[in-house]
Amino acid sequence: MFSVSKESAPPFGMISPFFWIGSIFYLLGSIFLLFLTPENGHYDLAIVGWMHWFLLGFMMMIIFGAMAQLVPVVVEVGHFSVDLYYIIWPNLLIGTLTMSYGFWFDQMVLPYGGLLVLVSMIIFLYDTLMTLRKASNITLTVKTVIASNLFLLVGIVIGFVMSLAVSSGADVDIANWLGAHVVMVLGGYVTLTIMGLSMILLPMFGLSHGFDDKPVERAFRLMVGGVIFYFISTLFGWHMGKFLSLIVMFVSVTLYMYQITIIYKTRARKEIDVWVKSMFMGYSSLLFASILGLIYIFTSYENVLMSAVWFLVMGFFSFLINGHLYKIIPFLVWFERYSPLVGKEKVPMLNEMLPHRLARFEFIFSSVGVLLAGIGLLIGSADLFKGGVTFVIAGAGFMFVSVKWMLSYGK
Amino acid sequence: MCEITKESVFDAVSTVIDPEVGFNLVEMGLIYDAIIEESCNVQVVMTLSTRGCPLHQMITQWVREAVEKLDGVGVVEVEVVWEPEWNITMAEDNVKKALAG
Repeated sequence: MFSVSKESAPPFGMISPFFWIGSIFYLLGSIFLLFLTPENGHYDLAIVGWMHWFLLGFMMMIIFGAMAQLVPVVVEVGHFSVDLYYIIWPNLLIGTLTMSYGFWFDQMVLPYGGLLVLVSMIIFLYDTLMTLRKASNITLTVKTVIASNLFLLVGIVIGFVMSLAVSSGADVDIANWLGAHVVMVLGGYVTLTIMGLSMILLPMFGLSHGFDDKPVERAFRLMVGGVIFYFISTLFGWHMGKFLSLIVMFVSVTLYMYQITIIYKTRARKEIDVWVKSMFMGYSSLLFASILGLIYIFTSYENVLMSAVWFLVMGFFSFLINGHLYKIIPFLVWFERYSPLVGKEKVPMLNEMLPHRLARFEFIFSSVGVLLAGIGLLIGSADLFKGGVTFVIAGAGFMFVSVKWMLSYGK
Repeated sequence: MCEITKESVFDAVSTVIDPEVGFNLVEMGLIYDAIIEESCNVQVVMTLSTRGCPLHQMITQWVREAVEKLDGVGVVEVEVVWEPEWNITMAEDNVKKALAG
């Protein structure tokens, strides 16, 4: 038996900056898309800078904030030292701003930003791994969290070394190591983390029970194996090894999506709210990104790669994260402001703490935008891409107002 | 002689509402049993809809506080069990109907 006491759960004031900052980065990052020229390809520093702005400032910021709450839930023990989260977000914020500035304007500052990001992530890893040491119930999700955090460490160290190479000309084969950096962080950390957490969150919110979880177990093992083999292949320069690793990761993602289908079919809660719609859009995007990624492995068409990354980042990652914000933020606010009043006075239900209309607009604009811009990238139409981006910006605006509304509820 | 009955314990617990789904714990089928001793000590045997529920401790606390409001009650204990695992068939019809959309 376990419990998450109010004492071991992080204070709301500690976590809310992660959500505020993340949603601001999401909105500004969406606007910055208008200034990108996708036809320059994925080595364009403007695009690389945007990726770091978005992945660190939005995705990592919100994942870290969510993990502050979810780690105790997942591993069934309190944080090793939850106060460390007070210094994670300032380091990550300043590091991300510095790195983005470095990519866009002055590469000499890249290592300084990289160092701050590295420090914030090492602090996060330290707390997470020390917390995991206390866990007695080593579930699949716990194993996933351990593996993904170790991959994150390797991935950010590779990234930091590359930032030294870009700024000071250190002798590093960036073309070779860029793949390992991306695979370690996006495949090894973000995807594995999402796999692990979704096995807790999706059944919890959908009230799914009694389903077979072997597909995700296999998906987990294949993803871990694929990421490790990709890293080894990079070390030894095995192109065939990298190719095979990517195929293994593709199989892993396919099994994971099969698992999600099983959970969806066994859910007791049939209501189609903004969370369900966001999950549907996110997983559809993952399917589309996987197919495009597979095509790219065999064809090496740059447009296909750009479109695959777009659907992975703006489709899968963004919809999964934003969709869960509609669940996580009301819960945190309720926990902080209303749970002490239970039994003493009438308290709102979580559903009442959602901005339904704003969320509906956010979903519609974001969905249309992601689809149009992704097709624009695929067929090489800058106009269609920019047109889609304007919808994405509108969606991000609604998301920001929604986050503000939820965080301010009952203040 | 203790006058507390299983029904009165269930009635007391039915004032505790799961804020996520908006139903009380009894109609959700989460309360498995209430064991009442002659000394009026009460043990509530219950489960939760998911093992990873972040409200685990608070919900058990609310259940304890709800039962402690009964006249003449002694020590109240709440035991959370995972067998049998909860599923939607354990909920009352109004819950099933509402969740099914």
